[in-house]
Amino acid sequence: MPGMNSGLNVSDPTVVAAFRSALLHQGLIALLIFFVLGLAWLGLREFLPAAKRPAATPPSAAPAEPTWRLVLRVGFGIVWVFDGILQAQPKMAVGLPSQVIEPTAATSPHWVQDVVNWAGTAWSYHPMQAGAAAVWIQIGIGIWLLTAVRGPLSRLAGLVSVGWALVVWVFGESFGGIFAPGLTWLFGAPGAVLIYAVAGGLIALPESAWRSRWPGRLLLPGVGVFLIGMAVLQAWPGRGFWQGMVNGKPGTLASMTASMAPTPQPHVLSSWITAFTGFDEGHGFAVNLFVVVALAVIGVVFLTGRPRLIRPVFIAFVVLCLADWVLIEDFGFLGGLGTDPNSMIPFILVATAGYLALVSVPEPAAEPVGVAPAAVPADPADPAGSVGPAGWQRRLRAALAPHSLASVRVGSVAAVGAIGVIILGAVPMAAAQASPVADTILAQAVDGSDAPLNFAAAPFQLTDQNGRPVTLGSLRGKVVLLTFLDPVCTSDCPLIAQEFKQAGQLLKSDERQVELVAIVTNPVDYSTAYTQAFDREEGMASVRNWLYLTGSLPELQRVWHDYGIAADIEPAGSMIGHTEITLAIDQHGRVRYEMGFDPGPGTAATESSFAAELTDTARQLLGAS
Amino acid sequence: MTRWAPVTVGCAAAAAAVLIAGCGSTPAHHEAHSGTKVPAAPMDTSLGNATGSWAAVVMGGSAATYNDFWQLFSRPAGSSTWTLVTPPGTADNGGLVIAAGAGSSAVGAFLPSQLLKFTPLIQTSDGGQAWSALSPLEAPLASTPDALAVEPSGSGQLLALTATSAAEQAGPTASKWTTLASSRTLAATQAGRQCGLSALTAAGYSPSGAPLLAGVCSHPGVAGIFADQNGSWQAAGPALPHSLAGEAITVLRLVTAGNQTVALLQAGTGHAASLFAAWSGPAAGQWTLSPTLELHGSALTSASFGPSGSVAVITGAGTAAVIAGSGGSWQRLPALPPGTATLALSATGPADALAVHASTLTVWQLATSGQAWTKAQVIDVPIQYGSSG
Repeated sequence: MPGMNSGLNVSDPTVVAAFRSALLHQGLIALLIFFVLGLAWLGLREFLPAAKRPAATPPSAAPAEPTWRLVLRVGFGIVWVFDGILQAQPKMAVGLPSQVIEPTAATSPHWVQDVVNWAGTAWSYHPMQAGAAAVWIQIGIGIWLLTAVRGPLSRLAGLVSVGWALVVWVFGESFGGIFAPGLTWLFGAPGAVLIYAVAGGLIALPESAWRSRWPGRLLLPGVGVFLIGMAVLQAWPGRGFWQGMVNGKPGTLASMTASMAPTPQPHVLSSWITAFTGFDEGHGFAVNLFVVVALAVIGVVFLTGRPRLIRPVFIAFVVLCLADWVLIEDFGFLGGLGTDPNSMIPFILVATAGYLALVSVPEPAAEPVGVAPAAVPADPADPAGSVGPAGWQRRLRAALAPHSLASVRVGSVAAVGAIGVIILGAVPMAAAQASPVADTILAQAVDGSDAPLNFAAAPFQLTDQNGRPVTLGSLRGKVVLLTFLDPVCTSDCPLIAQEFKQAGQLLKSDERQVELVAIVTNPVDYSTAYTQAFDREEGMASVRNWLYLTGSLPELQRVWHDYGIAADIEPAGSMIGHTEITLAIDQHGRVRYEMGFDPGPGTAATESSFAAELTDTARQLLGAS
Repeated sequence: MTRWAPVTVGCAAAAAAVLIAGCGSTPAHHEAHSGTKVPAAPMDTSLGNATGSWAAVVMGGSAATYNDFWQLFSRPAGSSTWTLVTPPGTADNGGLVIAAGAGSSAVGAFLPSQLLKFTPLIQTSDGGQAWSALSPLEAPLASTPDALAVEPSGSGQLLALTATSAAEQAGPTASKWTTLASSRTLAATQAGRQCGLSALTAAGYSPSGAPLLAGVCSHPGVAGIFADQNGSWQAAGPALPHSLAGEAITVLRLVTAGNQTVALLQAGTGHAASLFAAWSGPAAGQWTLSPTLELHGSALTSASFGPSGSVAVITGAGTAAVIAGSGGSWQRLPALPPGTATLALSATGPADALAVHASTLTVWQLATSGQAWTKAQVIDVPIQYGSSG
């Protein structure tokens, strides 16, 4: 998957520091959002004291939130907040595409990899914005779910949870791996966030559903259907689950758990995983038989809809999930790159909600007493009380009236703040996506920041790739980005040329005011035949402001000396050792910046980042003139 | 609300699971198309002529980390001492092809590796003591030791076989290359059709300076050596005896030694494969063939040529054999020293075994008795590990 990996170390200190700094700044803004909203709310209540009274009045016609919904809303709210906090781990900004998304997609079909690669590339190009967006969107959804108890805001939180969960399920979990071999409930199928999406959908149900019995009749049986399907899948022959060992190697389940053991974690946890792996290797058939029977029995019992029968089986299901969570999924969130607690906690939450929906008798709706059809709702976020034919415009106007705003509950204010937090993460990411160029932080991570300078560039008189003479003086009036390239270099120089080529394209209308110049750094292969061959190899002929200069060996040696460039013949079949820098020379012939230009891993993301750095520097000098 | 019958729903779930199991299963892999694998000539080699010998061997570390570096050694005629003369300027991880010219001159080609896509060329006139760049060949050279040839009479013309099976010719400065032929155009000639030419494996010049190309014939019992005679490609290969009539023939190597062209050919494939050498005679189309040397299923790992038409081979089984020249017979050599990459033959003296261990080359000489190897020289090569990664 070509764009997925930026090639940087996941713990790269430059990116980690910048990520922390970005999170800190955005965290302060998030606090400010809550502070301002709180202040505004308190101010309105202070200036409109009458508004306090309706808030104390319970909505007369609204049913109480059923327990099953409370479990889903609070449970998944906490899980989303926890996931958001996990996204703030230092390795996430660089590591998520290459260490989480790519391995997950590796065994999926090509079309899945193509879809996932698009998102992974976007992330690797903008690791700071993407990493921060994941943090704030998930924390925001979590807070929103926790604080918006009822009404449209609460239902909207459920829908947003569905939307974001599906985004994560498709791009982060490669459709939960459902198109990859080895799919098993034990390891998280069909993807933890798909369960978040189901829960979000249930939270988004209208309040009329709260009063009906169908959540109780459908939710747990739905889980039962799913578990029966998973039991069949688990029992399916030829997938390696029935064998603890296959041809001297661990079977499918044992190899999965064995791969979890090296995850950085407390020794006691890894020892449990290792012990279970050993047990499964020795008793693979028995383990799988137990799992198949357990899933099938639980599924069938859930389908019966009989609470007395279901109660002990529900407890067994919870125990099974917890055992799987500890011994097979290894908690899911350890190791510095864990994104969520995997699927078992969400399963427990959904099954608990299903059980509660089954055993709880819905409260009958209270009769609306003494509420006029056009009455202002007690809580604009909770228009359940606004019965009657009022249109949405009328309700909106009523809700935005100052005394209505002053009467909203603190939870609704917090929910609005949570929406602000989501926007805080999403907007910078969306803005970054609008740019096809990678963030310059990647280039800085490879070579450090630009060094500002101010001295006269050494003059030179050389020949371009077409045999025409070029002097530094002839370039006066333009910004010159000057680098030094070996035409027969096998690794870095072609990458640097591509970075210059991309910069040429990014400069667009500024192209005429900028010259992209390279000088040969090979004391053996320095004829124009080599600069021409290099240009053809790298497609540089299409870059109109590209000059690849050479000269006689003494001329080149003088230039190398004047610019402090090493160009050493290395022995025994090595390529020429030469300095990799780019100098930014302003329109007056003065060197203004020195940029380290080792292209590093040479990935699409870092190439784009270096091109952006070149473009930014050139524009900065053009703007300064 | 209708309560779903548990059995019905369970069956639906089971059906879905079956579908998922089918979707998620790894598809069975079909066996790859069993096309004929063209035998390839190994790149470790040595070549001797009247003025001395050249040997190219790979040294260093892992190719996966670009720590394999090709080294060139030379030994003047009459001397027993080898000198490291690897040409400078280009990383040679992709391979190094050396074409001996008149006297002590030679042209070297760096096979492109990693992001380099063309072929830098370099020349020497003093046995590798000093090198100067030629213009590059703007195509990747074929990865075969005879992909480059220098016209032997001193005109300096160059003939190159590219990775795309095109034969390109240039003058002594290599500044302008023209395409002489390709495997496709050559296969379309009468000579190519007779051979059923499927791939080109070597380029060379005849002693008289005619461009030669060699390759793999799909028609059994035919040796694919072709000569450019005034712009027309003619079959120039040896006529093969009836004993080889049913065998697939591949020309592995093609070199000019003095006034004769020497070819090393493989007959058959797999366990039935054998090698034989062919020496051109004074008349066109006149060749002398050696007896066959059975490979017993092992692969050729090095082939070397001496100044008087002698040929030495090493197989993957660690065995070596040498044949003195036209009319000779294969002589098995004693067990090779560990790490022997290639053998070097001289006009008069015994064979040298060049053994490689990481960055150390050890030269072993065969005692006059022909029964044992004696360590003669150790060269530590200053390999710059990590410089190409």
